Amino acid sequence: MEIYLPIAEQSMNVFILFGLGGAAGLLAGMFGVGGGFLATPLLIFVGIPPAVAVASQANQVIANSISSLQVQWRRGNVDLRMGLVLLLGGMIGSSAGVTLFTYLKRIGQIDFVIAVMYVVMLSSIGLLMLFESLRTYFRRRRNPGGPRGKLHTHYLVHRLPWKMRFYKSKLYISAFLPIGLGFAIGILSAILGVGGGFVLVPAMIYLLGMPTTVVIGTSNFQILFVAANVTFLQAATNGTVDVVLALLLILGGVVGAPIGSRIAGRLPGVVLRGLMAVLVLGVAVQLLFQLLRTPVSPYSLGIREVLP
Amino acid sequence: MKGLVAALLFCLLASTATAQRIEPPRPTAPSPSSSPALPAPTLGGPADSSVPPSVPSAPTVPELIVDLSQARVSITSAFQGESLLLFGMFDPPGEIVVVVQGPPARETVLRKERVLGLWLNTGRQAFDDVPAYYFIAASAPLQRLLARGAGGEILSLEDRLASIRPVGWRPPHELARFRAGLVEVKRREDLYPATFGQVSVQAGRLFRAELPFPSRLPEGVYDVRAYLLREGKIVAAVSRPLPVGKVGFNARLAGWSRQEGTLYGIGAIVMALVLGWLGGAVMRRL
Repeated sequence: MEIYLPIAEQSMNVFILFGLGGAAGLLAGMFGVGGGFLATPLLIFVGIPPAVAVASQANQVIANSISSLQVQWRRGNVDLRMGLVLLLGGMIGSSAGVTLFTYLKRIGQIDFVIAVMYVVMLSSIGLLMLFESLRTYFRRRRNPGGPRGKLHTHYLVHRLPWKMRFYKSKLYISAFLPIGLGFAIGILSAILGVGGGFVLVPAMIYLLGMPTTVVIGTSNFQILFVAANVTFLQAATNGTVDVVLALLLILGGVVGAPIGSRIAGRLPGVVLRGLMAVLVLGVAVQLLFQLLRTPVSPYSLGIREVLP
Repeated sequence: MKGLVAALLFCLLASTATAQRIEPPRPTAPSPSSSPALPAPTLGGPADSSVPPSVPSAPTVPELIVDLSQARVSITSAFQGESLLLFGMFDPPGEIVVVVQGPPARETVLRKERVLGLWLNTGRQAFDDVPAYYFIAASAPLQRLLARGAGGEILSLEDRLASIRPVGWRPPHELARFRAGLVEVKRREDLYPATFGQVSVQAGRLFRAELPFPSRLPEGVYDVRAYLLREGKIVAAVSRPLPVGKVGFNARLAGWSRQEGTLYGIGAIVMALVLGWLGGAVMRRL
């Protein structure tokens, strides 16, 4: 069954889009990340213009994060203070990102930048996660119930000024750290159409040293508002948000998410993270392959301008 | 059979009232410098300035009548491309050529090159006056018809594209490559159908042709022209506009997105919030 997408200006199979949303939702339920990093490249792959794919995916991320924030909020797993500081950076970053996106689209390099950013980011995150989960897996097998280390290690970044106390996260760190992190995620969010959870979550754990219990809830809090900002700005400046496309993705996600969380409940965390790492690396390799492979045709068309 | 033809003729006469009629100069008034080139058909105005407008042109039954199976191409939610039927009637003998052109616009052709092993867009060339869509159909092999002298008015795709204007300067051989690239992309999207269409003639005077429109169809007013050729000369031509556009829900959404981007953005956010909230709440109960 085909449906015409009014902003993407082409028809597309309903079940493909629904399935893509479902896959993103499944990931969201399983790993607590939005799944946008998988859905956006796939949307582009099936032929949606990158600009529309990114903007509409940001719209879908809103739905995804509100539905998981509901649960996290009730359980008290949101560090509101940390969330707000992150959000300060996130808002600035995403606004700058949309401006950058508009510029790249005008000079015709947006597709390339999207692909390269995905490859760099997914491969580094994927490798980090893979090594980490392998290490934990083997250490735990060798040394079950061994002595616990420090709560978190201290790096150079912990010596930055303007320190703030984050009670819920049991942290006393410079506010520049979460602001900078939020800024970076904001840019990613605007250009790649992802919530950025798959970068934010590991960064919160390893870089900020936040306890894992509040990580998911807090990242969802920040992602919700950043995705809303991206959706708003993309709609207002570029007119690239396709609500019909977003609607199908959201509906798919609503069905996929609870299935994902049920699967997640049956698997140990290390295995889950290992699986996620493999998935992330798979997408990265696929995208890299597309950049390296000789294209069917070197030619493509930019934006059509009807002159008055 | 005769009754059917008569009924069809009646319908045609009634419906062509909306179509613009273009008359080439009458052969009965030969000018001293008998130029072979025909003036370009103009929409509306008198076809031949040498004939005073107060004198009505001679024939009561036009030599060429054309209509389309639909007055417009409507892009609905179920739109997947469409095939329109063009049909009509002409005074034999003669051959029919149909040319459909999408609205002209500036198109930018991007070219990828390998840089450090990665393929990225390095070259770009804009062209003005590029038709969004171009399709030709004829009742006889087009090369033969055009070779006999009607080429000034009826253009093959190659001839039509020879007139698109490059923006900025570039060496001619480079321009030719970008032009070829443009055709290649348009072909791939079925906007410049690769094969000439067939105009089939029945009973010596009725004709029909299928006009194929792909799903990724730019909006605008398309121009559908039919020509009646005798011995390589255009004896009659009919032109009619064919609006292509989104309708209903799609048109409203696209309109909001273009004109009320702020409101549209807020609407999109609210939709996602409501669906995400409800969806989360409902699915957790199951």
